[in-house]
Amino acid sequence: MPYEALDFYDVDSLLTEEERMVRDMVRDFVDEEVLPKIEQACADGVFPDEWRVALGEMGVLGAPLEGYGCPGLSYTAYGVICRELERGDSGLRSFASVQGSLAMYPIWEFGSEEQKNHYLPKMASGEWVGCFGLTEPDYGSNPGDMITKAEDKGDHFLLNGAKMWITNGTIAQVAIVWAKLDGVIRGFIVEKGDEGFSAPEMKGKHSLKASVTSELVFSDCKIPKDRILPDGKGLKGPFSCLNNARYGIAWGAVGAAQACFDSARDYAGTRIQFTHPIASYQLVQNKLAWMLREITKAQLLAYHLAVKKDAGTWIAEHISLAKMNNVDIALDIARMARDIHGANGILDEYCIMRHMANLESVKTYEGTHDIHNLILGRHITGIQAFTREI
Amino acid sequence: MTIAVLLKQVPDTTAKITVSGGRVDESAVSKWSMSPYDEYALESALQLKDSGGEDIVVITAGPARCEKLLRDAAAVGADNLVHVLVENIGDLDSTQVQALLAAAVTNSGAEVVFCGKQAADTNAGSTGPGVAELLGAACVTLVSKVSADGDGYSALRPSAAGSERVAVSAPCVFAFDKGRTEMRRPNVRGIMMAKKKPIETLTAGDLGVDLGAASVTIISHSPPAEKPPGQKFEGADSVSTVVGKLRDEANVI
Repeated sequence: MPYEALDFYDVDSLLTEEERMVRDMVRDFVDEEVLPKIEQACADGVFPDEWRVALGEMGVLGAPLEGYGCPGLSYTAYGVICRELERGDSGLRSFASVQGSLAMYPIWEFGSEEQKNHYLPKMASGEWVGCFGLTEPDYGSNPGDMITKAEDKGDHFLLNGAKMWITNGTIAQVAIVWAKLDGVIRGFIVEKGDEGFSAPEMKGKHSLKASVTSELVFSDCKIPKDRILPDGKGLKGPFSCLNNARYGIAWGAVGAAQACFDSARDYAGTRIQFTHPIASYQLVQNKLAWMLREITKAQLLAYHLAVKKDAGTWIAEHISLAKMNNVDIALDIARMARDIHGANGILDEYCIMRHMANLESVKTYEGTHDIHNLILGRHITGIQAFTREI
Repeated sequence: MTIAVLLKQVPDTTAKITVSGGRVDESAVSKWSMSPYDEYALESALQLKDSGGEDIVVITAGPARCEKLLRDAAAVGADNLVHVLVENIGDLDSTQVQALLAAAVTNSGAEVVFCGKQAADTNAGSTGPGVAELLGAACVTLVSKVSADGDGYSALRPSAAGSERVAVSAPCVFAFDKGRTEMRRPNVRGIMMAKKKPIETLTAGDLGVDLGAASVTIISHSPPAEKPPGQKFEGADSVSTVVGKLRDEANVI
């Protein structure tokens, strides 16, 4: 059955013609190039290199950034791209999120003119892959206490420390690494091959299997002085990157949910039990109606957030709500879709279990579900509840 | 040299087709797409453009919805977009549509025309030869590849012995069968440029075409007959019955 994206309220009619063309381009790419290969990629635990090439050729990397060879699309278009990519697989969307929002964006926003000219065109074309090193083995939700540090050695910086859970790490030519310089968090550009830098791949994941996840290890890693990002000091630097990536996830989760719904609707219509399609039974209809309801709400949340992103009237808490809600319902929808598929739902013939396992990561990365609740809690009450230490 | 590529917007092959009141209900078509053989024609023209710098004008006849088709073509590299606006395209017969397309080709200045061998909805297969007749142009049908050859073109098409290469010079029309490469995917840059491209919208009157009355009228459309339900046999006892049916009814063994 060809994919039919659930759009009950016709939300996509609010997109511009250009945004719809971008949507169709990415949707076709996912249908033709990604879905036929995704299960093998998961089994092999690789991110197929031809997807990197195709994303670069389509020109969607760093979608909302302008100049320096970047696409210059709207944030709405960026959201749509994330949604369509994640309809294929969260690992694919993760690649694009990390490349655009976490590696290109900090260079674009905080980098020097020389850094922008040097890195951005090659990253927009996909020739160079970027990664983003913030999380450490012992500092996930609490990045402010990171251990990784940089020292000014006169003619170079010396980095020491380790990062973990870094998407694209092993395949990246460019790593944006956040480290403390004289106690202040700063962004550094570390390149593959820099002395004292290694990026071993983390193995054994049951989630995001078609995505490369790595550690970044800095052992007296020497980098030239011109590799520090001049702006973006303190946590504001990495957090502004995360805002953009989380925004993309709010859209991406809708795509994963749409994929699960589409499969569940088709399956329920054709699976006969007790002589009738299971879609004709009230319990199944109730599930499908709930999925439709939650996807529609998530779509409206994502779309209105996009409008606010493009208008510049958003606050970080808006993004937290959408990321948290949309991933949450996508995961519930994946589980419910698995239920509708019965035992078949666990097979790789269907996308369900893959999306479900992926979404467990998506729920956790880029600010866990609970952390986003705390961000909202602080917004509502004015009292931060992240730590007892004030 | 300018190549005119004739494109038709048809219901997507995945779209559900419903018939109401003896006519295909166009308003119920969820997705319209470029007719697949036209895609091969366009891709082949784009390849010639890549190697020889030809200018591509894409021409379609149909209602306002067809504008998307032209933008999609522009996004992959078409240079000029011509829309022959006909709201009631379904009421025209093939010769009337050919008259419009041939006039639009002449108007564009193109002497070489690429089109699909047939459209995915009507499957009439008359556009290429019909337009060629009106233009007084050579027509090569069922081509899979066209390349520049001196001042003219050479086209690959099937023959009784395998395949044959046909050399023609302009004016000429090539009607495409399945080509060697699928139509390229657009990219963001192409999409953004497509948005800015003007569409030349022309009517039959603008083209000086007097459509007259259709010589062929469609009495009614009807959906294909529903397939009879499948038959199910269980157990070893039914083997001889199944074999009998496969031999005598299905004629497959």
